[in-house]
Amino acid sequence: MKRNRYLIALIAVLAMLIAACGGDGGGSDTTEGPDTTTASPDTTEGPTETTEDMTGTTAAGGGDITVGVSWNNFNEPRWANFDKPAIIEALDAAGAAYIETDAGSSAEQQLTDVENLISQGADVLIILAQDGTAILPAVQSALDQGIPVIAYDRLIENPETLYITFDNIGVGTLMAEVIYGLVPEGNYAIIKGNQADANADFLREGMEVVIGDAVTAGDITIVCEEYTDNWDGAIAQTTMEQCLTDNNDDIDAALVENDGMASGVVAALAGVGLDGQIPVSGQDGDTAALNRVALGTQTVSVWKDARLLGKAAGEAAVQLAQGAALGDVAGVIDFESPGGNTMTTILLDPTPITQDNLNLVLDAGWIDEATLCQNVESGSVEACP
Amino acid sequence: MSVTEETKADEARRTEGETEQAAGLLRGLWALIRRGVGSLELDTRLLGMIVGLLVIWVGFHFWSGGTFFTPRNLWNLTVQTSVVAIMATGMVLIIVSRNIDLSVGSMLGFIGMFMALLQAEWLPQWIGFDQWYTWIIVMAAGVVLGAILGFLQGAIIAYAAVPSFIVTLGGLLIWRGLAWVLASGRTIAPMDSTFQLLGGGARGSVGGTISWIIGIAACVGIVLLLVSRRRTRVRYEFRVRPMWADVALMVLGCAVVLGAVWFLNRYFMPEGLAMAYAEEHGLEWPEGGLEIPFGIANPVLIAIGTALVMTFIATRRRFGRYVFSIGGNPEAAALGGIKTKRTIVLTFMLMGILVAIASGVQIARLNSATSGLGTLQELYVIAAAVIGGTSLAGGIGTIFGAVLGALVMQSLQSGMVLVGIETALQDVVVGVVLILAVAVDVAYRRRQST
Repeated sequence: MKRNRYLIALIAVLAMLIAACGGDGGGSDTTEGPDTTTASPDTTEGPTETTEDMTGTTAAGGGDITVGVSWNNFNEPRWANFDKPAIIEALDAAGAAYIETDAGSSAEQQLTDVENLISQGADVLIILAQDGTAILPAVQSALDQGIPVIAYDRLIENPETLYITFDNIGVGTLMAEVIYGLVPEGNYAIIKGNQADANADFLREGMEVVIGDAVTAGDITIVCEEYTDNWDGAIAQTTMEQCLTDNNDDIDAALVENDGMASGVVAALAGVGLDGQIPVSGQDGDTAALNRVALGTQTVSVWKDARLLGKAAGEAAVQLAQGAALGDVAGVIDFESPGGNTMTTILLDPTPITQDNLNLVLDAGWIDEATLCQNVESGSVEACP
Repeated sequence: MSVTEETKADEARRTEGETEQAAGLLRGLWALIRRGVGSLELDTRLLGMIVGLLVIWVGFHFWSGGTFFTPRNLWNLTVQTSVVAIMATGMVLIIVSRNIDLSVGSMLGFIGMFMALLQAEWLPQWIGFDQWYTWIIVMAAGVVLGAILGFLQGAIIAYAAVPSFIVTLGGLLIWRGLAWVLASGRTIAPMDSTFQLLGGGARGSVGGTISWIIGIAACVGIVLLLVSRRRTRVRYEFRVRPMWADVALMVLGCAVVLGAVWFLNRYFMPEGLAMAYAEEHGLEWPEGGLEIPFGIANPVLIAIGTALVMTFIATRRRFGRYVFSIGGNPEAAALGGIKTKRTIVLTFMLMGILVAIASGVQIARLNSATSGLGTLQELYVIAAAVIGGTSLAGGIGTIFGAVLGALVMQSLQSGMVLVGIETALQDVVVGVVLILAVAVDVAYRRRQST
């Protein structure tokens, strides 16, 4: 018992030491703060000068560029597996260095993370925002210090940032097009993502482009439309079960905003033997979802090739570090944000994956054939011979 | 005084007398009912909860335009409740012993991910896909893992005297993190085809006939239990219930069980499934179709079985008595010779095992394991136990109450989806109900103790 106490005391002391070190890091941030604030007027006064200055740095070698990436949450499959390697690859090509932080789904943590990245010497920031509004003060402070910010995949409402994403409204449109093509009239269930996530509404907006007229004309009836906490598949399953109950199974199509929720919806349909008979949409190109597409229980998974996104962000980061203005970055367009800002944006095109083009994900090395074709009757789809 | 005034006064006096008489009669009747209900020796708190549940059901039934109180919806409800119910039975013992387990949601995610990987990726390398015994290996491995995790947490709580709140808060972060490490955040699917049956669904139910057999067995069980209790009381010369009360309880118990089976058995397979079933079993497909009941779903049977076993452990085993006496007064329990530390470790191991069972049901039902599996489940499990009358101060709580609590919460949630209430508002309602339920409970206990 007594020895245990000592052990715990030891652990507590260690924990305090670690905490103290963290505190130190924060401290150096604040001491650096004033320096950079004095520097920032320079940047605003003489943009040409700064540009020259930065180009000078580049001339000295791309190796001097450090790109800081603030991830919101590595708990989601794709970021670590596909986005991160793609960014690193793009940076390696330009000889730039990569540093990162993971905020573990905490908006507060991410504020600290951004400061830490700056104090570690990041020249450009790529931020996957946990909360696009909460991150604003940190973003503003980075911009004030002359550090360009790239909003990665999630919008940050500051027109000085470069927004790189897939065309999310387009994703909604793509899934609705596939489903509408199969079911031009009838009862639709719409399972939306997290209410606090703007993407859930972007997607819904994109669906409206396709089915809006049919809904007004009365050809399509939306019998259920629900948000889903945390995009949770288990909750989506319950929602779909209740929807089927409420309509006595009289549902002709399900527009589901991502693959995780689609797994729940397909499980709910399987519960009443309707899996494979009702078209279901999804997005992300999850391996499990692609398997369902091959099996025929899910109709489409809109695939955003994360490697393209990472590559675009890495390349844009290097250009910005070399002093390019936002508007000069390759491939940008103007995009009207929901907050009324005109954002400089790179919009990438997603790909709807159906049974007909499963080869795309195989060729890209996104999934291997054994996983894609598990339980699939051989020869029933082209990709599974 | 005029004549009219006199008659008025007379009349007033007479009506007063009549009201008093009527009131007296009512009081007498009420006393009779109370004595009658009293001799049934039912727990009035549980009765209150059951009435509350019925109010929720009837309310949603009318609000949803008649879809709530249907066999199909209640069948769904039973399946949707089972995961939280299984875990809530263990949470009762944890809370009764004055501890808390905040890690069950994350642990569900970790064990679920482990079991999913085991059957979808690791085992197939050795034994191939879809063996009949895969599910047994997977469940056994999951249960062992659950017991180990529970042991780790319990040992630190009991022997290192770190508060359970802190240890399981740490566990909440650790297991969630490890779940991610296991699969790098991928979604693991599909599950083994036999294993899937644990989750219910089209084939994961026992069918109409077996449901009836189970119902009748339960009915016989109730009768035998009451008879044996009566005998024991007679043997030790305790006060026994009046004969009519025992008989009434038997009839009531059987009526509820068989009524539930009858009602759930009226949820028939949709045509497509029924056709496939008929073809498989070589049945003729008649003109009007076949009415094949799903019967009780496997996860529901697992939950009921768990609840029975846990009730037995909590009330009929020495371990259960120890847990309650530790919750009532830890010092007295320790001085009385109870190995309190060992008992605490055992409650956490039991919790881990129950989480493993719940994980199995959850991933089988979803037919996949996602990295966010079980997020926030700990709160629903704790809420179910607390709504079910488990006191956070320790020492008080019943397994049956916790299962009812889980059912109350799931009824609210499914009902609100059915009538189409916004997600954000659903959380508000569940939160309000949680506080209300406990407030009523506390007020009731205070009134009873004075």
